[in-house]
Amino acid sequence: MIALLAEFNLAVVPLLAAAEVHGAAAESSGGIGDAVAQFGFQWQSFLSQVITFLVVYFVLNKYAFPPIMGMLEERRRRIADGEENLKKIQQQLAQADERVAGMIDEANKEAERLIADARDSASAQREQRIQSAVNEASNIIAKAHEASKLEHERLMGELKREFGRLVVDTTGKVTGKVLDEKDRKRINEEAAGQIAL
Amino acid sequence: MNFAQTLTQSGLNAFLASGGIAPDPLSGWFTNSMLVALVVMAVVLVFVKLATSNMSIIPNRKQNLLEFIFEFLYGQVEGVVGSKLAPKSFPILFTIFVFILTANWMGLIPGVGTVGFGKGSGFLTIDESDAHAEFHPLLRPATADLNMTFALAAVFMIVWIWIVVSEVGVKGFLDHTFGPKGGLTGFMKWALVPVFLFVGVIEVISIAFRPVTLSLRLLGNIFAGETLLHTMGHLGEILGFPDWLSMIGGVVFPLPFYFMEILVGLLQAVVFTLLCAVYIQVGASHDEEEHH
Repeated sequence: MIALLAEFNLAVVPLLAAAEVHGAAAESSGGIGDAVAQFGFQWQSFLSQVITFLVVYFVLNKYAFPPIMGMLEERRRRIADGEENLKKIQQQLAQADERVAGMIDEANKEAERLIADARDSASAQREQRIQSAVNEASNIIAKAHEASKLEHERLMGELKREFGRLVVDTTGKVTGKVLDEKDRKRINEEAAGQIAL
Repeated sequence: MNFAQTLTQSGLNAFLASGGIAPDPLSGWFTNSMLVALVVMAVVLVFVKLATSNMSIIPNRKQNLLEFIFEFLYGQVEGVVGSKLAPKSFPILFTIFVFILTANWMGLIPGVGTVGFGKGSGFLTIDESDAHAEFHPLLRPATADLNMTFALAAVFMIVWIWIVVSEVGVKGFLDHTFGPKGGLTGFMKWALVPVFLFVGVIEVISIAFRPVTLSLRLLGNIFAGETLLHTMGHLGEILGFPDWLSMIGGVVFPLPFYFMEILVGLLQAVVFTLLCAVYIQVGASHDEEEHH
């Protein structure tokens, strides 16, 4: 395998080269040190890699994790607050809905009561108006009767007077006598008495 | 101009000659994988710096990406170690995950492992003279180097010891490891003490081997992926294709495996991290049965 890789100039040559160099020693001694060397382990390189990784670890630990954790915590807190506020808003909304439903219910009842009152009031008022109209009509009719009666009496009076005058005139002409005031009065009264009958 | 020789003369001969495994103790630390590890470190730190600058409740894209990784991983870690241990163990696990993921994916960038010095091939070779007997890449995936993977595992084990001791204490850990389990009392408890002591010894050996298994698993997967990609890249030459066809094959053949290696890189980062989380959970969990 090593020979195959080396033939095609693979990039793994350094590691394999070391393996090849130390291979014979490892085969002969079989020690752990040689086996480790076959894989290219070397203390200087190992320690430098440790230092490199430790630098990354300490820098991240000191400068990266606190702000990231803080930011994530802040965002988590805000989300939790938002959720809490959302619950409160939903509760308030539910309460408001209940209140609105109650108010609507109450308003409906009040409206029904007002409508019933209005209906009663209107009914009463209509009755009152009808009664008033009936009374007024009765009054008008009574007044009309009164006026009619007075007119009738006035016409009857005029008729009596005219009739009396006609009787007096006719009597005067028939008798050829000039009637004095006394006769006139008597004839008028007799004629009026006849008409009244 | 011989580029390799010029650089060699400029003082990097130990690095170039060894390809990262130099015998010189003074220059041996600076390997090609170490160079990539430094780049990984820079990439991670710069990205985190950019993402955490001017943080706001409504995040920008970089902050959003970082927070996504952060929250995803925190959820996974919390699911394994529990909510009590999560804040303490998350920093090391997050760092491990991000570092390994970045290193794995950085190894897939074209040029890593293929641009280098020494014996070369292909139409982009500047000088085919044998400056060195073997090819030495300028960059190598950091996680394809045992030194890096073992360093990750070693640092984790130190942090693991600190977490376990701070959670259950040394006595608690020893009780948990060597003590009788299953709520035994009386004669049976004392009769089984040797058995549990033996099991404890096996457990300690198992713990001691964790850095080895962790590091070799990661190394093996990434190294195998790297080898696979390079083999596919040279498949045309292996099969004896003409140069122009080998060049096209060098692009086409590795392509499906690049996608696979992207997944492998992510998977290995997740596996390493979750195994570490499991080790923390197992080591730092309180034995509930003892309290009942």
